[in-house]
Order: sequence, then structure tokens, then C-alpha cells
Amino acid sequence: MKTIDVFGYSFNAIKLRKLRAALTTLGVIVGIAAVVALLSITQGLQATITSELNQGLSANTLIVRPGSGGDVGGFGQGASGTGFSLYMNYTTEINALSPDIEASVAVMSRSGYIQTENLKQSATLYGIDFNQYAQVYPTFKAETGSIPTDPSENQVVVGTRINQPGQNGTIFFGTGDTIDISWVNATVLPPVDESYRAVVAGVLEEVGGFGSSGPSDTGVYIPIETAQSFFGTDQCDMIIVTLKDSDNATVTSVSKAITDHFSNQVSVTSPTAMIDMLSSVFDTIQLFLVGIAAISLLVAGIGIMNIMIVSLIERTREIGILKALGMKSRSVLSIFLAESAIIGLIGAIAGIGLGYGLAVIVAQVLGSGVFGGGGGALAITPLLTPTVFVGALAFGIGISVIFALYPAWRASKLKPVEALRYE
Amino acid sequence: MINMISKNIAVVEALNVKKTYMLGKVPVEALRGVSFRVEQGDFVSILGPSGSGKSTMLNLIGALDKPTAGTLLIDGVDIGRLNDNQLSDLRRRIGFVFQFFNLIPRLTACDNVELPMSIADIGKSERRKRALELLETVGLKERINHKPAELSGGQQQRVAIARALANNPKFLLLDEPTGNVDSKTASEVLSLIQNLNKEHNVSIIMVTHDEKLAHQAKRTVKMFDGEISSDEVN
Repeated sequence: MKTIDVFGYSFNAIKLRKLRAALTTLGVIVGIAAVVALLSITQGLQATITSELNQGLSANTLIVRPGSGGDVGGFGQGASGTGFSLYMNYTTEINALSPDIEASVAVMSRSGYIQTENLKQSATLYGIDFNQYAQVYPTFKAETGSIPTDPSENQVVVGTRINQPGQNGTIFFGTGDTIDISWVNATVLPPVDESYRAVVAGVLEEVGGFGSSGPSDTGVYIPIETAQSFFGTDQCDMIIVTLKDSDNATVTSVSKAITDHFSNQVSVTSPTAMIDMLSSVFDTIQLFLVGIAAISLLVAGIGIMNIMIVSLIERTREIGILKALGMKSRSVLSIFLAESAIIGLIGAIAGIGLGYGLAVIVAQVLGSGVFGGGGGALAITPLLTPTVFVGALAFGIGISVIFALYPAWRASKLKPVEALRYE
Repeated sequence: MINMISKNIAVVEALNVKKTYMLGKVPVEALRGVSFRVEQGDFVSILGPSGSGKSTMLNLIGALDKPTAGTLLIDGVDIGRLNDNQLSDLRRRIGFVFQFFNLIPRLTACDNVELPMSIADIGKSERRKRALELLETVGLKERINHKPAELSGGQQQRVAIARALANNPKFLLLDEPTGNVDSKTASEVLSLIQNLNKEHNVSIIMVTHDEKLAHQAKRTVKMFDGEISSDEVN
């Protein structure tokens, strides 16, 4: 029997029992949709986070913080309480540690706030060398105004959420305006508010939700010399080290050299390692979720097997007729498998569509607030990769065919004499 | 000369054919050594009461089953030596007409006639053409797109005969051809069969318990208790 005739005959048989076929297909649709939705969402999320991280953290940088707690790749601010402090002039020591080091930049940071006539807005205050920092982070770039290469002591650069905190088009101040910058000095008792008046030289381009150590939309950037006197210290909070190479070996050896040099009293964080770790976490989560979703496919498969066995019993006589008319066992097997494959194909295609649709809806819900919360909404674009598409299609058809194997085999083994006698 | 030889080729030849069933643990001898011969162009009826072994004979001649002992040649092939696949192929050369018509209910008359050709790998356009010819031959030109449920018993029987003829079989094998139709339809079906035999030289084997019907054939083989009790030209 020709393949096209096998499928024609099978399709005809499916058409006869539309409701039953539809319900069987629904099982496949639900299973495939669950798998595709989860894969599209997690892969989209992964791509978004990885790209935002890549923007916020240059791959060839290491971040050195005081404290011995953090492993390479850790998210934390580093353990504190060891009494160890980083000083700005340690950059020279670090630069001498390895020929793979390009440069080191010291960063001071304090929680503070800024104030204008009609806005009081909390902010993270960073004391940095503008030129060096811009070299490390390409995202440290002015959208309006400019980043002064030789800043006077009262010039500052602010993140985009500082002068338009609502992200709704209302801009409270622009370049050339003056703002009051304050922080609460808790090193003296009682704590005192320290502030000074600065002129906004530039507003940064939007960075995005993830920039845990790179430029931030809620940051206020003060020239390092100003910061030293304003914060009253030479201690810095982190030193960013740029490497000539971003491969794993270099990252590992330089990280080790730095921690060794400071007798394990610093933690060194590598964005590359962080992204790697995040990716592997995502892979695990994805595998777990897809595994759960795949169980529903298993259930669908059992449904198919069940319905095929019912169909086999109902059609015993028909199989007898087909065999009496000269149909080979192989063709009987093909007819049953083809029926199942058609159900699998329709189920898979509808499931992929439904799954992707669900992913788009979920992404919109996530993007519109649950994750966002005003601190930088996470815009996820669900990803339906060709691999997922083809995989889901193959899986849907595969499951259907595998579970139809036993009923189909039994059908093909029916003896014509007995099958014809069957009422 | 050639004509004469071809006329004498046996389409079915049974030599001491035995068939034993196991009914639970009890062996039942359905055929106890049957020998007969059906030649090209013959019209033979196999007559017998129930339990005579005629249904077993029908299944063997239809290549649906294999004999326990003896030799059964169908179109010159010893079916005892064939595997399942080869039996399937052989069945395409036999035009089986079932007692209960056994049409596929969801297929139209035309699709039912096309089915054996589809099984025999014949292309769509060719089989459609032949199906239409056959339905015309059996007088059902107007009913090609009707499903079996929309046809009368006699019409269904005609579709079944057209289907049996689809692959140009060596012979038609009919099981109680008039068993499920009224007497008027029965005589119409019978004349169709006689016509096929006479005009189209189709060899016919008809299995029945109806003595009157059996004697309409050219020859009647009577069976009783698993053996042939008589074999006479009518």
C-alpha cells in the first residue's frame, strides 16, 4: 500500500470519530503547549538576563571587594566584619600582580539622596575616575550633556532614573542644573547629613535592570577627588580590574593572584563566571520544568494507547476485511501508526502555537510589573528557537507513535479468519 | 490450442486436504481429506449444512487459513508453504465476496471498490477509472458516492462483487451470496453472477447451504461431515 494511501485511509478513519480524535489530540496539545511555553519563557528570560548582564558587566573585568566570603561568581556584596578595608591606592599593587591586568579602577559608593526644588530622590553615590570608568564600562555614556574628561569638583553625572524617576516623561532637571547631593555620615555619633551643591554635566543612557556593579540608572557619579573629601576617606568599596583577555584561564589565575595577595581578605567576582553560573542554574531550572511538563505528554501518550486499543477492538472486523482483501500485516501496522502520527502532528502544531501564545502572555504579565516594580521592568521576549520547534514537533509525533506501537502491532497480528468472525 | 490449455488450468486444486481445529483441548476434524478441482471458467457451488466443513473450505480457498495436511493449490501455488506476507499477496488474486458484504461503512461505494486496488499499490486515477467501470458493470453507476448505509442489501452485495472483481481475480469466491437479501434481489444477484461467468469468463466458487441456489451453478460439490459426499454436474 502506498504511503499516501495509508495516510488517506487513516485520516478518513480519524474523521469518522471527530470528538474522540479531538479529545485525544487535546492531550498532546496540552503536553506540547506546556513544554513549549516553559522553554520559550525560560530561554527568553535567560537571553534577556544574559544580554543585560553582558551590558552591565564587561566580560573582561574582575570586581574586588573587601571581605573573604564571596566566591568567584557570587552575587553578594562580599562578607564584611573582617576589619579589612580596600584603599584607593591598592590599584597600583593590583596592577603589578599580573601582566594580564590592563588597569584598575577604584570605586567608592554610598547610599544617599539628591534634592532639587521639587524632587527628593534616593540614589547610590559613586566616586569614580570618569575616564577610567568609561573605559571599563561602555554603558557609561551620556545621553544628554557629556561626561567631563577633566571634571571640576562640583560636576556630576546622573543615571536616567535620577532626573526622571517616574519613567513617564517628566524630567525634573537637566544638564547645567544644580542639585544638592547628600549622604548620612554614620561614622560619627550622632550621624550627620552631609551635603554639597553640584552641577549636572551629563545624564547617562538607560542601562537596564541588571547592572549590579556596572553603571546604574539610579546612580549619581561624583569625581573621585570630590568623593574623597565628601565622604572623608581614602577607603574604596570596590576595585574594578580590567583584563587584557576574558578567557577562563586568565580570569581564574588573576582572581587567585589577587585573593592571594590580600591573604584571602577580598572577594573577587567575575562577570563571566557569574553569567556561566546563571546559565547553568537556568539550564537546571529549565530541565526541571520541562521534565514536569513532559509528564503531561506521557499522560497524553497513555491516552493515545488507550484510545488505540479501543479502536483496535472496534475495528477488528475491518482489519479482517482489509487482510482478506490482501493487505499485508505491515500495512495494517502502518495504518494504525499513521492515525496516531496524524494526531501527534496536529497536536504538536496546535500545542506549539498555544504554548508560544501562553509564553507571550506570561512575558507581558512579567514585563508589566510583577518583576518590574519600578526598579527596571524586565522585558522578556519569549524565544521559540528552531530547535525547540522541531524538537516539540518530533516529540509530539514520537510520543504518539511510540504509544501506538503496541495496539498497532496487535492489530497487525490479528488472524483474518478470527477477525472476520468478530462481531 | 492455447485456449484449450488455459481453459484447463486449475484455479483451485485440493488434494486430500485436512483441517483440524483445537476446540479448547479437543481436536475437531473439520476437513477429513478433501480433493477436488476447479478449472478456469468453472462455476462451482459448494453445498452443505452447517458443520459440514464448507466454511472451513471457504477460508482455505480464500487463503485466509492454511490446511493442517494435504495440498491446496490456488492459482498453482501451494498455500501450505506460504508465509503471512505471501498469503496476503495471493489473496489479491482472489475475489472474496463475504456473506455480510463486509463493506467499510465510512467509505463510499466507489472508495470501497477502490480499496483492494489501493492495497495492491495501484495509483489513484487508474483505480478510480476501474472502480467506475466495475460499478457500471454491476449496475450501480448512479450510486457511486453513496455509503453502504445508504444502499439496499442487494446494492451492497453488488458493491461487494464489484470490489471482489477489482484486481482481476482468478476466481470469485462467494459466501452465501443470497443469504442476506430478499428473494427478488437474490435472483438479480444470481443472474449477475451467471452473467459474469458466461459473458466475462470469470471462474466462480459459491459456498451455500441453499440447495436451490447451488443447483444454479454448472457443478455442485456436496459436503457432509468434513468430506465430499458428491460432485456432480448440474
